[in-house]
Amino acid sequence: MKTLQLEFYKIKRRKVWLTMFALLSVQLLWGLWAFRNPKDWELESGWLSLLHLLSLLDGIMVPTMMSVLASRLADIEHKGNTYKQLETLRSAGSLYHAKAVCGSMIIMLMFAAQFAFFILLGYHLGYEGNPDVKYYLLSYGLKVASNISLFLLQLALSMVFANQMIPLVAGLGGSMAALLLMFVSTYSFLPWGGNLSASLVRSEWDEVSRISTYCYRTFSPLETAAVVCIFVWIAVFYAAGRILFTRREV
Amino acid sequence: MHLSILKTIKSERLKLRRSPVWLAFFILPIISAFFGTFNYMSNQGVLKSEWYSLWSQHTLFLCYIFMPALIGTYCSYLWRLEHMRNNWNSFLTAPVSRTSLYMGKLTLAIAMVIAGNAWILLLYYLCGKLCGLPGLPPEEAIGWFACGILGGIVICCVQLAVSMMIRSFAIPIGIGLAGGIGGLMITNKGWGLYYPYSLYCMGMRANNPQMELDILTFIVGSIFYILLFSVVSVVCLRRHE
Repeated sequence: MKTLQLEFYKIKRRKVWLTMFALLSVQLLWGLWAFRNPKDWELESGWLSLLHLLSLLDGIMVPTMMSVLASRLADIEHKGNTYKQLETLRSAGSLYHAKAVCGSMIIMLMFAAQFAFFILLGYHLGYEGNPDVKYYLLSYGLKVASNISLFLLQLALSMVFANQMIPLVAGLGGSMAALLLMFVSTYSFLPWGGNLSASLVRSEWDEVSRISTYCYRTFSPLETAAVVCIFVWIAVFYAAGRILFTRREV
Repeated sequence: MHLSILKTIKSERLKLRRSPVWLAFFILPIISAFFGTFNYMSNQGVLKSEWYSLWSQHTLFLCYIFMPALIGTYCSYLWRLEHMRNNWNSFLTAPVSRTSLYMGKLTLAIAMVIAGNAWILLLYYLCGKLCGLPGLPPEEAIGWFACGILGGIVICCVQLAVSMMIRSFAIPIGIGLAGGIGGLMITNKGWGLYYPYSLYCMGMRANNPQMELDILTFIVGSIFYILLFSVVSVVCLRRHE
C-alpha cells in the first residue's frame, strides 16, 4: 500500500493525468466532428453508434496512449537511476506490482471520464432514449480489461528497457496493427485486437441508401474465446513483466 | 558557420551511434505495405486505378496517423540525451552557435525523413510488382516523394521544437499522434494546407493520389512553418539557461 502511495506521489507533478486527458480530448473532438449535424436515423441509433466509434478510436489510439502512460511511470526510475536504491527498501516484485496497480487505476479513471464525456455528448446531440446501462457497463469493463492488458505489455517493456524508444515504437506498431486488424476481422487473439474483440456493437453499411445500421453483436464461440483471451493476456503480461523485472540486474 | 554545422552533424551522429532508432522507420512502413497490399488485392473490384489505388492503400494510415508520431519519436530521441542529467550544460557550452546546434539535429531528422520516404517508395514499387501491376509506378510518384519530404520537414521542425521544450520523451510522441489524428479532421474540412501536421499527407497525396495539389500554397505554407518553428527553436535555445 505504501509503495502504491509512493507511486502516486512520484507522478504528482509529472502531468500524467494531463497527458491522458489531452489524448482523450482529441477523441472528444473527433466525436464532435464525426457526429455533427446528426440526421434522424443517426439520432435513433445514436447510443449504439457512440459505442462503435469508441471501440474504433480506442483501437487506434490506445496502444500508443498506453505506451506513453507506461513510459511516464517507468522512465522516472530510469532517469533517476533509482532501481538500486529502491530495491534495498522493498522487493522488486512489489515495486512492479505498485506500478501496475497505479497505471491500472489511472486507466479505470481515464475510461470512466471518456464514457462520461461521450454520454454527455450523446445527450447534447439529442440521441433518442438513454444509453443501455447494462451494455455500457459491460463495454466499460471490457475496455478497461483490454487496455490494462496493453498497459502491462508496455510496462514490462518500459521497465526492462532503459531506452524508452523501444517501448514507444512498440506502442506505435501496436496502434498500426490494431488499425489493420480492423480490416481483417471482427475479433483477434492478438493483444492489440482486444478493443476490436471487446466491441459490443457491429455496424453494417448499406451502399444503396448510404446508411450505417448498428446493432448489438452476438458472439460466436471463437469471438467469445477472443474476449477471454484478453484476460489471459493480462495474466501473461503481468507474470512475464514481473519475472523479467525481478530477475534483471540493477 | 558551415563548418560548425558539419561539426554538430558529426556529433549528433556520434550520439546516435549503435542506437536502433532507424529500425522503426524500417519496420512500420513494412507493416503498412503488407496490409495495404493485402487490402488492395482483396478489393480489386473497387480499387481499379492500379498503381494509384495501391499508393493510397500503402500510405493512407501511415501518413495520417503514424508518420507524425514516428517523426516525433525520432525528434524526441534527438533531444533525449540533452534532457538527461546535466547534459544541457555541455550541449550549450559547445564552441558553436546555437543555430548550428539546432541545424545539426534538424539535418539528421531530415535525413531520416528522406530515408523513410525512399523506403516507402521502394516498398510501393516492390509490392506493385508482386501484385502483378504492369509497367512502372506513375511519374507523379517522384512529386509525391518530393512533396512528402517537404511536409515531413515541417513535422520535424514542429516536433523538434516540442521535444526541446518538453523534458519527457513520451509526451511529444503523444502530441505527434494527436496532431496526426487531428490532421485527418482538418484535411477533411479542406484546411489541410494550413495545418502543419497535414502537410505531410497532403504532399504524399495519401488519401487521393490523383488529387491536384495547390503546389504554390503547399510550398509557401511548408516554408512558413519550417521557418516559424526553426526560429522558435533557436530563440528558445538562445534563452535556455
